[in-house]
Amino acid sequence: MIKIENLEKVYKTEEIETTALNGINLHVKEGEFVSIMGPSGCGKSTLLNVMGLLDKPESGSYKFIETELLTLNDRERSNFRKRNMGFVFQNFNLIDELTVFENIELPLIYNKVPAGERKKLVNEIIGRMNIVNRSGHFPQQLSGGQQQRVAVARALVTKPKLVLADEPTGNLDSTHGNEVMELLCELNETGTTIVMVTHSSHDASFSNRIINLKDGHVISEKINKGRTEELI
Amino acid sequence: MFKLNLKIALRNLWKNKTSSFINVIGLAIGLAACLMLLLYVTYEWNFDKQGKNTENLYTIMTNIPGDNGKISNTFEGSTTALGPLLKEEIPEIKHLARMNYLKKALIAVEENSFKKLGKFAEPEILKLFDYQYIVGNAATAMQNPKSVILTESTAKVLFGSTQVLNRVVKYQDTEDLTVSAVIKDLPDNTSATLKFDFLMPWAFYEMVDASAKELNWGNFSFVTMVLLDPNADATKVNQKIDKVVKAHLEQANQPYFLYQLSKLHLYGKFENGVNVGGDIEQIYLFVALAFGILMIACINFMNMATAKSEKRAKEVGIKKTIGANRISLIMQFLTESMVLTFIAVIVAIALLEIFLPTFNDLLNIKLSIGYFSASSWMWILGIVFLTGIIAGSYPAFYLSAFNPIQTLKRRIKSNGILAINLRQVLVVGQFCFAIVLIISTMVIYRQIQFIKNRPMGVDVNALVEVPQDGELKTKFEVVKSQLLKSGSVTAVSQSSVGLSHRGQNFMDVKWEGMAKPVNTQLFNQVATTYDFIKTNGIKLKEGRDFSKNFASDSAGILISAAALKVFGYTNPIGKTVTIFDDKYTIVGVFDDYVWDSPYKSNNPVIVFFDPNRTGTITMRLNEANSIAQNIATITEITKQLNPAYPTEIKFLNSIYLEKYNSEKTLGILSNLFGGLAIFVSCLGLYGLVAYSAEQRTKEFGVRKVLGASLFNLMQLLSLSFVKMITVSIIISVPLSYYLMNEWLTKFEFHTEITWWIIPIAGLGTLMMALITVSFQAYKSAKANPVDALKYE
Repeated sequence: MIKIENLEKVYKTEEIETTALNGINLHVKEGEFVSIMGPSGCGKSTLLNVMGLLDKPESGSYKFIETELLTLNDRERSNFRKRNMGFVFQNFNLIDELTVFENIELPLIYNKVPAGERKKLVNEIIGRMNIVNRSGHFPQQLSGGQQQRVAVARALVTKPKLVLADEPTGNLDSTHGNEVMELLCELNETGTTIVMVTHSSHDASFSNRIINLKDGHVISEKINKGRTEELI
Repeated sequence: MFKLNLKIALRNLWKNKTSSFINVIGLAIGLAACLMLLLYVTYEWNFDKQGKNTENLYTIMTNIPGDNGKISNTFEGSTTALGPLLKEEIPEIKHLARMNYLKKALIAVEENSFKKLGKFAEPEILKLFDYQYIVGNAATAMQNPKSVILTESTAKVLFGSTQVLNRVVKYQDTEDLTVSAVIKDLPDNTSATLKFDFLMPWAFYEMVDASAKELNWGNFSFVTMVLLDPNADATKVNQKIDKVVKAHLEQANQPYFLYQLSKLHLYGKFENGVNVGGDIEQIYLFVALAFGILMIACINFMNMATAKSEKRAKEVGIKKTIGANRISLIMQFLTESMVLTFIAVIVAIALLEIFLPTFNDLLNIKLSIGYFSASSWMWILGIVFLTGIIAGSYPAFYLSAFNPIQTLKRRIKSNGILAINLRQVLVVGQFCFAIVLIISTMVIYRQIQFIKNRPMGVDVNALVEVPQDGELKTKFEVVKSQLLKSGSVTAVSQSSVGLSHRGQNFMDVKWEGMAKPVNTQLFNQVATTYDFIKTNGIKLKEGRDFSKNFASDSAGILISAAALKVFGYTNPIGKTVTIFDDKYTIVGVFDDYVWDSPYKSNNPVIVFFDPNRTGTITMRLNEANSIAQNIATITEITKQLNPAYPTEIKFLNSIYLEKYNSEKTLGILSNLFGGLAIFVSCLGLYGLVAYSAEQRTKEFGVRKVLGASLFNLMQLLSLSFVKMITVSIIISVPLSYYLMNEWLTKFEFHTEITWWIIPIAGLGTLMMALITVSFQAYKSAKANPVDALKYE
């Protein structure tokens, strides 16, 4: 589904140039769950941002089901993103002024889904995430685990082809962290492709494939046998 | 989407109560001030513009020629002979009406008698103005010479009703007039030459005043108004008028011209026969003031919004990530500012309702919000919309441009170079405006004081005057002796005009050794009998006052020092002057006194001896008695001798105070709105400091733990703001110095801008800003550092 070739990204400041991605090649199949690991500053978040069309690389190619995405303009990128991608962040990034229901509804509004259908879709996902009794609450009234469930629900409500998760358990204790990982696995089992950046090998063990980055290069790739067999 | 934006906006306002409060109150004050000034400006702007003929309605102006072919004076006034000539010769004139200036006259129904503003006019006045008839109609209202048209309030005062067709009123206690129509009261913003309480036909004027009947080219005491054909070109008509008048009258050297009546109120100042503006300058000033204050409030909003950008950045990032485009974000922030402005306008209207009566009293006008007029709502909504856009656009564009990755990673620096610079510029701009207003207020105040302290040449304290009506004209000597005998007054004199009056100008003067063939200097004339100098407290420089001991005084004149200067006599007493072909002997020279505007030198005055030209009785009160006692005695004596007329005693010092009205208005408004500008600016400063303190809570905690004193921390927080105020002072001082110098040069007599005004304004503003900043700085510096660190 995703074909990334020779991707390069350089951050320039007045004094120094930092190469964040240095000729990355990466293929992700539909329905795969890929973890990206590596030390701080290795470029894993940059890669995720490029995949999420939040950042532009200097050169290379990024094809999503045969569509080249790097040539799109800002509006096209924004449209492509809202139709095909969902995001889960380490710090949840919910909007404090909106309730759980409204936060989940927001991407549907931007996708111009009619109100009746929005309500149906939001209620459906709220049920699936087991946060029905929290739908009128504001983010600050929820525990970290519950907030991340809302964030996942928001990422999934538009039924995206690809979910990008940036350290989704980074701000959670192990119990809530495991809950979120299980949720992602369930999601993956229903066919959603997931790319996750993580520091935790425990979290990475939930995925089919682990890619290790260092200094902007892919240094190794490991197939997670247990999960792959399940996939087969 | 809109519903969601509205929801976010309201929740945001509720969550940030301090900044919302500052924004709402600041904007409400700004909007209230703006709406109030705009009400005033609309009132002034619509002067004489209510009729349907406004566009084509003209008044005739007269240019008085001066030296070197220049025009020395231009005024609204014309002669009786001009009107009929123009009507005959100029086909573009559809209707023309001659009328007199307004004069208070007695109008009575049996015992119910009042002095009201009466006007005489030719019947075509009813075609010039579309008066609204309650009873009667335009076709018949002026048919009968002895008829009168009453305004609604005059009819109610006289009869207690408006249904008074064909009822009879008594004019000046002599003539019976039949009520031929009652019309709605004229709007408040009708110019003084047109605002009457009752209107009488010209034919009746000709019966009671010979000067109206005679077709005269030398007496300019009349007003002529015309309605031009809508297709006529006023410039061409004016050229025609010039030709027609010159063809008819060889010696005519006063070019007359048509001037649009609706423009006269605001564009009434002429120099060398050309319009050079007028009160419109004040209107521009008020509009600038109105929008200046609103701008200050908008700047507060922008500053608070960009200061809070760090908080809002996350929201922008999330929304962008899940698919919001920039337009939808801009719309969201604009919705927020619109909601805020909408709340502010409701508060503003409440403020306006509370303060409008006081404002009306201050300016002596009647302004009100037209709740039922569509146009006033259009204006209000227009201003709300404009304010919302101005206040919201910068934050909207600034915030919506954030890069989602940076915002989500919290990499946005709220004090990024551009943001902080613009915020500084805006704060500096706000305070510049406020300081300019403070300095202006002080200069205006000093100018008014300067003019008030200028010697007026008359002693107006304990001086009163009454109009010389009815029996007071014929029995003046009796009144005078009774008043003096009563001990209530120490001196009494009669004169053709009151001490303060409009110029009764003339030029036909010749004197010995006159260099020019024709005099071009305008002189003012006053006619009196005895005790003129003594009663008014005017200083005699040479010679004497008129005296009963000299029978020859009937051909004598008193002249002012300025007149003496024109004549150039070294020993003036006994010298002669020829006026209107009659020879007069100078018996006395008095010091110049202010009888017209105190801001410029008044024309030279010649005082004639003429017992027949009555007008006003002036009395100097006996200061040994109480004022109330004196007034009671005067009222008793005049009422007894002149029972038909109410006694109207006026104090000269209050009449002279009115001369400062227009500058006083300016003073009040710049004082009031200058104060508001400072207040709203300080409110914004308070908000910024509060926010900056909130952001630096942790830093303050750390510094305190490391041993920083309370003063150190206050200094830290205040310094950058004090710097901005200092920059404002540096910019605004020369600016206001320049502006106020320009303003002062408008006046022939004016004060100088003294050096101490500048440090007072500068230090005053700095102090106020410092107090604002310190209050918040003290609060955050005093906070327990442990709380601050724990919080983080």
